Amino acid sequence: MKKIPLVLHVNGEEHDLYISPNRTLLEVLRDDLELTGTKESCGEGVCGSCTVLCNGLPIRSCLTLAAEVQGAEITTVEGLRMEDGRLDLLQQSFIDHGAVQCGFCTPGMLMSAKAFLNRNPNPSEDDVRKGISGNICRCTGYTKIVDAVLAVAKKSRP
Amino acid sequence: MRLPSFEYLEPRNVEEALKMLADHGDRAAVLAGGTDLIVRMKQRLAKPAILVSLKHLQDLHYIRQENALIVIGAMTTLVSLQGSELIKTHFPALATAVRLIGAPPIQHVRGTIGGNLCLETRCLYYNQSAFWRSGRAPCHKDHGEICYAEENSDRCRSANQSDGACALMGLGARIVMNSTKGERTLPIEDFFTGKGETPFAAGPDELVTEIQVPIPGESEGNSFHKLTYRSAIDYGLVSATARVDVKEGRISEARLAIGGAGASPLLLKETAGRLVGKEVHDKHAVEETAKQVRNQASAFMVNNLGSTVEYRKKMSAVMAKRAIEEALDRCHENSVVKRQER
Repeated sequence: MKKIPLVLHVNGEEHDLYISPNRTLLEVLRDDLELTGTKESCGEGVCGSCTVLCNGLPIRSCLTLAAEVQGAEITTVEGLRMEDGRLDLLQQSFIDHGAVQCGFCTPGMLMSAKAFLNRNPNPSEDDVRKGISGNICRCTGYTKIVDAVLAVAKKSRP
Repeated sequence: MRLPSFEYLEPRNVEEALKMLADHGDRAAVLAGGTDLIVRMKQRLAKPAILVSLKHLQDLHYIRQENALIVIGAMTTLVSLQGSELIKTHFPALATAVRLIGAPPIQHVRGTIGGNLCLETRCLYYNQSAFWRSGRAPCHKDHGEICYAEENSDRCRSANQSDGACALMGLGARIVMNSTKGERTLPIEDFFTGKGETPFAAGPDELVTEIQVPIPGESEGNSFHKLTYRSAIDYGLVSATARVDVKEGRISEARLAIGGAGASPLLLKETAGRLVGKEVHDKHAVEETAKQVRNQASAFMVNNLGSTVEYRKKMSAVMAKRAIEEALDRCHENSVVKRQER
């Protein structure tokens, strides 16, 4: 298989890579860039644990070829923290509300919720549930996740 | 799960893409958003030697009005359709259908209407991992000679579970396809073959480029309803689209499509025809039509999705009834709005 050159912009950094075209974005993030915060679970686009942001919008990195997002700005959970190194409000809220149980779905949940809040800063509970409907938590700790997201929305309200 | 190897091509425009499809035809697959194709490749259900990526074909991302049609570029994302005033105003059925596809992270960026229209037919016994399937002889769709969904079936009985396809069938869309030989436009009924093994009429060198939907008259209404166990991610177990027109308190035109039954969304012309001439408030007529839908759809349903076939058969009537009633309500709302405007 012919390898292809690829420039990926991840969390504000540029990476020059040379990869086989059959590598998914998830594989490149985890194996080549060692950004292992993004998780693989089902690998079929069902569970949402591999969610990252592509130009600010959530995508399934397990179903996206790395070659398809050349030139786009990718944000992973590692890129969420603020410039001074503190956790993002949403991350801190997940901790404060006990929204992390086993933690495997958390990176995907954070990314979906982040993208959702960026578009809808003033959501109802129902909006939040719809916003994270593409992410599965097998510990079924949805209530606390929804609380955590709503708390951030409330805090950032002027 | 790793992907098999393939050559990756990136045409810069539609002409280049068509040239590549003409050159590589059978060995190539078209990659739009990949939310269906990549999964099938991971499961080794699709093994294209070449992937033709449409990522640079942003020319195919549009929704606009052309005379009596709304035309939609094949690469239009599902989110753009949901947000479009043209779609929300004229085709609430389509807006609902695309909102119910997958989940928000699938509808953004990756999920396209052309890709959804070309969603491969699915079956509980086919859409499984290579390991799962390795324990049995291959089925018809996997180039074998057996069907696990229906005993002794001599052909594939997989089902079309595309929400977009069901909605567009109900709305009477036309599909524009291009190849190096030229352009052709098919009514959506003819775009689907009804065969599980080869569900689409498009040739290996053809690319779906546009979807055209006739703008409904002011007294028309349309609606889409879908049954799933979960409110996100799930493919529909059965779905229904209804489009009706009301003149002077009576139904003057009706069109019905049922998804999740056969290898094509079913267009029930005769059954829908029974509604014509009936009064808008004739609940009995709607009940009778729904019953007829169940009879018709049952003939196409086999035990191939994640629910018992009996339940799906029963629910086909319920989905049809809800779609017809909502479409009739929308006729009423549209005429009220019209009256207020005057």
